[in-house]
Amino acid sequence: MPELLEMRGVIRSFGTLRANDGIDLDVRGGQILGLLGENGSGKSTLMNVLFGMLPPDSGKITFRGRELSGHRPRDAIAAGIAMIHQHFMLVDAMTVVENVMLGWPAAGRVLRGTETADRIHQVSRRFGLDLDPFARVGDLPLGRKQRVEILKAILREADLLILDEPTSNLAPSEVADLLKILRSLRTEGKGIIFISHKLPEVLELCDEIVVLRDGRVTGRMPAAGASRARLAEMMVGRDVTAPHELSPRIPGEVRLAVRNITVPGLSGLSFEIRGGEILGVAGVDGNGQIELAEALTGLRRATNGSILLDAVDVTHAPVAARVRAGMAYMPADRSSTALVRNMSVAENLMLRDSDRSPYVRGVVLARLPLAAKARELMMEYDIRAPGPGVIVARLSGGNQQKIVIARELDRAPAVLVAHQAAWGLDPGATRFVLDRVIALRNAGAAVLYISSELEEVLAISDRIAVMADGCFAGLVSRADADRRQIGLWMSGRAA
Amino acid sequence: MSEPTSSSPVAVPQQARRIGFRLHRGDHLFVRILIAVLLSMLCAGALVAVSGHDPVAAFVALVTGAVGSPHQIGAAFNRTTPYLLAGGGVAMCFRAGIINIGAEGQIAVGGMGTAAVALVWFDDLSAVSTVAALLGGAGAGALWAGLAAAIHLGRRVHEVLATLLLNFVALLLVQQVLAGPLGEFGAGFLQSPLLPRASWLPRISPFNAHVGFLIAVVAAALLSFTLWRTRFGFALRVAGHSRPAAAYAGFSLPLLTWSVMVLAGAVAGLAGGIEVLGLHRRLIEGFSLGFGFKAVTVALLGALEPLAIVPAALFVGLLEAGSLSMQRQIGVPSALVVVIEGLTMLFVLAATVRRL
Repeated sequence: MPELLEMRGVIRSFGTLRANDGIDLDVRGGQILGLLGENGSGKSTLMNVLFGMLPPDSGKITFRGRELSGHRPRDAIAAGIAMIHQHFMLVDAMTVVENVMLGWPAAGRVLRGTETADRIHQVSRRFGLDLDPFARVGDLPLGRKQRVEILKAILREADLLILDEPTSNLAPSEVADLLKILRSLRTEGKGIIFISHKLPEVLELCDEIVVLRDGRVTGRMPAAGASRARLAEMMVGRDVTAPHELSPRIPGEVRLAVRNITVPGLSGLSFEIRGGEILGVAGVDGNGQIELAEALTGLRRATNGSILLDAVDVTHAPVAARVRAGMAYMPADRSSTALVRNMSVAENLMLRDSDRSPYVRGVVLARLPLAAKARELMMEYDIRAPGPGVIVARLSGGNQQKIVIARELDRAPAVLVAHQAAWGLDPGATRFVLDRVIALRNAGAAVLYISSELEEVLAISDRIAVMADGCFAGLVSRADADRRQIGLWMSGRAA
Repeated sequence: MSEPTSSSPVAVPQQARRIGFRLHRGDHLFVRILIAVLLSMLCAGALVAVSGHDPVAAFVALVTGAVGSPHQIGAAFNRTTPYLLAGGGVAMCFRAGIINIGAEGQIAVGGMGTAAVALVWFDDLSAVSTVAALLGGAGAGALWAGLAAAIHLGRRVHEVLATLLLNFVALLLVQQVLAGPLGEFGAGFLQSPLLPRASWLPRISPFNAHVGFLIAVVAAALLSFTLWRTRFGFALRVAGHSRPAAAYAGFSLPLLTWSVMVLAGAVAGLAGGIEVLGLHRRLIEGFSLGFGFKAVTVALLGALEPLAIVPAALFVGLLEAGSLSMQRQIGVPSALVVVIEGLTMLFVLAATVRRL
């Protein structure tokens, strides 16, 4: 196959930092290229340069033998490059056909819906997309919405598809379907750039893998023969895939006892977690996980049931009282719940502790002690920011989550509710988060670890529960965990 | 999540200078506002020229009219005072993400409260009557804002609607009261009798300005301290940035809404009281017309920073004080100043509105 894309010596700086420092990248037709790298390694910058959203400082991009320079996204699309973002660019209120025709010059000025629908049918059958042209996009599950984006790319005759973290929001079965679709696109001769943090997927799907670190290519190899550990090392500079040590522990007293807790979306859940124990909750997102986390931490009012924290009833306690009683919470929504993006690192570190020393004296904020405490936490939790006064939005995702961890763990909590705590983090930061959670368990706290990443749950839990339809479909100890059984529970089919 | 974050460690260079915890509202904010003000003055100059007058002479007349003599400066201070007070309260609400546009009504009711206390409870001899009357005004304003908060929280009426509509009720209420219990019999105009002399605000000698301006500056400093240095202010700012984060932090959103509305109502009521005791020495129908909306202008012009509202309010106050003399001397209609204010607002909004 001929070269489809050739990028040579791409350099792009922001201020003093070189986000792309002389990157070469080649994609052939009929090839899936895995692009790996931690947050901040330069992947997104490189793709933005390719797609024409950022001009490079220097470097040459050749696509299908024609040089692209000074191009804008619309030129890239016209040339045959399609970018599928993590957040879909679809109009929920419109049907699939309407979304496909939207902004598509070839659809013409007079829209021919039925004709387009016929083509959608054909393409859908050929690539196994299984899409109804007249379904409202808002009604489709995430996996299907993504297929609408792929469908748009195919109909616009894109030769190169860029997928940015396409699997982060998908359930395992949807991931399998997506990989199948991508393989059939490869067979048709399309080139694909697949960006992901998830090494197993990349190894399974891709033909060749390119690893970026600090704006340079640190590894380039065929996927056959690459190992997870080797890739992770190239990304992070050290091995972070060693299995987590879960020292066997004799669980202590019951620290969190939940009886028949009920909120809309959560039907009468009961469980206990002992000190020194991690209860992992697996399951596809949207099956009551957020309801569970928020009911436990006081953000949602339980209509029924009780919550005992260290034998104290906190069922009706407000959020602040639960924090004082030792309930720590890492919400899944980092950008607007766990953190205030436009406030400083220091202010975010005191977000839930502004009522106690060293942060206040009386009602007045104690600035110097706050700054000192913030510096201390930044050291201890390796939060990389130029100073405590820096706005959180300017930090990478990993550093943002470290702020949440530092704040919640510094209180030495009795119970930690962690929801999607490693979601979207690169391997280094994921490792950091999981290690800290395990350290908290070893210190005798009870941990409820909710995640839609089954691998993660299996890696760090003493017991594993599976959520489906607002209930625990199953609950097993680590030793008895059987993936097939867990998969069945996740799909909601009772065993 | 890789797209916004992965490029961001890169965009850090200029942030290091910002070690304090304030002003997270974009870079060079005040410089941009200054440029906006200058641009609006340029446009105004062009308008003056188009109307056939000399813009330089008009500008000179405007400035001398505003600061040409101590008395004129004093008059400008008096004009500034209500904008400064009410603007500070509005800014606190906006910081908390609550769009309070009820300052107009709160000022009116505050003036009424002050007049009522001064007329009903005090004779001419009482020494504390000034303070008591001002407290009466602040209390009335707080009650009025509290009523809006109650409607907002209790019945889930949007706060813009609740505060806006109560403005009309407040104006009519003041009219009604002046036509009845507080009215001056046979005045031919809706106004109260002259208030007892002991309740009048003292004046500062060379300027002949009342002490209200000083009260307003102190209030602005207190509001600034509250916003940046107290836990309550922290809660307000968190709520303004993100309501889910405020709930997660354990702050009670209804309580925050109540408190900041009552606070803003109290300072607006105080502004009304000062206007009554310091300027008119009686309650007059329509004494506060337009003040509430100008308070919003001033709050935005000062970038919702209580201390920066002092120059913002002074800008508007001086402009208005000077406009009359501009009209007298050059013949440029003083209505042009209203145009300048409008232009300034447009430019400032264009310079500061957050990019999406």
